[in-house]
Amino acid sequence: MPRTRSINQNIPLPDFRNLGTVLRMVLLVNGIALFMALAQADSPDGLWQQMLYGSALFQPVLLSTLLALYVLNPWLRRVTYRQAVGFIILLVGFFTLAIARLGGELFAASEGTAGFVESRRCLIAALIALLMLGYFRWRDLALSPARGAARLQALQARIRPHFLFNSINAVLAIVKSEPKRAETALEDMADLFRMAMNDAHELVALKDEVALAERYLALEQLRMGERLQLRWHLRDMPQDALIPPLVLQPLLENAVYHGIEPLAAGGLIEVSLYLGDRRLHLEVRNPLSATAAKTDGNHIALANIRERLALLFDVEAEYRVERGDDSYAVHIIIPYREKEAP
Amino acid sequence: MNDTVTLPLTVFVVDDEPLARRRLKELLDDCAVQIELQVVGEAGNGQEALDKLSATPAEVVLLDIRMPQMDGLELAQHLNKLDHPPVIIFTTAYDAYAIKAFEQRAIDYLLKPIRLGRLFEALTRARDAVPIRTELLQELMPEARSHLSVHERGRIILVPIEEVIYLRAEMKYVTVRTAQREYLIEESLTALEKEYAARFVRIHRSCLVAKAAVAGFEKGGEEGESGWLLKLHGLDERLPVSRRQWSGVKALGNTGEQGA
Repeated sequence: MPRTRSINQNIPLPDFRNLGTVLRMVLLVNGIALFMALAQADSPDGLWQQMLYGSALFQPVLLSTLLALYVLNPWLRRVTYRQAVGFIILLVGFFTLAIARLGGELFAASEGTAGFVESRRCLIAALIALLMLGYFRWRDLALSPARGAARLQALQARIRPHFLFNSINAVLAIVKSEPKRAETALEDMADLFRMAMNDAHELVALKDEVALAERYLALEQLRMGERLQLRWHLRDMPQDALIPPLVLQPLLENAVYHGIEPLAAGGLIEVSLYLGDRRLHLEVRNPLSATAAKTDGNHIALANIRERLALLFDVEAEYRVERGDDSYAVHIIIPYREKEAP
Repeated sequence: MNDTVTLPLTVFVVDDEPLARRRLKELLDDCAVQIELQVVGEAGNGQEALDKLSATPAEVVLLDIRMPQMDGLELAQHLNKLDHPPVIIFTTAYDAYAIKAFEQRAIDYLLKPIRLGRLFEALTRARDAVPIRTELLQELMPEARSHLSVHERGRIILVPIEEVIYLRAEMKYVTVRTAQREYLIEESLTALEKEYAARFVRIHRSCLVAKAAVAGFEKGGEEGESGWLLKLHGLDERLPVSRRQWSGVKALGNTGEQGA
């Protein structure tokens, strides 16, 4: 059975291979070093001295810890959160001691009782590590309502009364004359609802998201007929890519609702999915009517996608909106993750 | 029993979704068993509905509220200008605001998917009903109309408001000027000024100009009186600006010139 990578254990650990996570750690640790230097210094020269000294002590520990976490990242994701935290504390303590003992003159505890200085440093390092983990935990909690909300919103959008009742109405219109087509439409509706009610925490295969999006668009096409034109650019789509659920479909929903429905003659929605620069690109482009261009429309769904991407991929996800006079395009770029081998 | 022969009730269907029209026609066929009726036509948008109904009037129009370009509430106002305004029954999948308003004003509406029983009831009532007054429809739609409707040789033409360059009052009519041509409508300039306050500005006792069409000003005068003339985008005409309106209008010229 293929196991998709969990993006959320009970309590999530930050992704130590993510550029954003690494940057946050470097900035925070150096911020703390600066704060400690400020607390200890009693003259401008002293401040400078303290900063240099503190930096010299902090940096090697920080860099070796980052390197170790980068390497151990896949393993850390498999153990429980408590185990991972304990291990990280031990790791930081170990590096602090090792660098004090083996780092030579500069790093050796020169003054005071060597034993006390060493344990003091270990304690400080461990506290900073805890602080750091606490920060990531807090950040996750602060951003995570977006995940629950995504499910709710997807459900609400699906049950957007306009869509639901009009779809049922359309199915009723063909139930006698084209029973086969009516059957397919009802099956599509069932799939859409099921997806929205699923746990939105696992990454899903891109081709499944595409299949779901196609079902959704089939229903819209049933209602709108010729007015809704589609063009898929999937030739360069990586089949094995993993993406967060409910990203592509809400984008399309937005494109239909704000792009096609207000236009009497309808229009073309273009979807491009491709791999570029080892990153996955998703682009949805739709026409924009003169009136829709003026109103801001309902961008709650889009704001939610943005928040979830920030939570999952930090600075490695990009989200761009191109707003032309008569077209609107959302372009999302996320790191390319492959499906793990079964 | 009534002595007069009752003619079949004539019904017309307006909805932008082809399948929604199909479903409604099927239901109307089912109703025809119990109530004498005849479906005289159907339309997918406002202009089509106006054209077909001018040619073949119907007593009842089943009208979808949410449609592209022009919604049902506005189309109902234009339908009231027909020689024989129909009784309108609104249809909607969901429209919390409109439904509440309909209930307060006792206007008939049907929820999609429409039930045969409800449609039958509504049609039975419609036979004795009168068209909804335009003022009532205006109350239901607080925003400005997207089109002006013009009576012309038995036809009703819809003019998109964004194509209108200026509106000028003449005797009992208002001239509607677009880049292509002029139309005459029977509406009051004051009401139009109020409805389209965001789009038009008054430059003269008898003239409203689209703010976006203002290209600039030049000195000039009519009949010896010196004053300002307004230049327009898309038209060679010059329109006189009255002294009273000048202070409110002159700022537009600056932004207009910067934009040009």
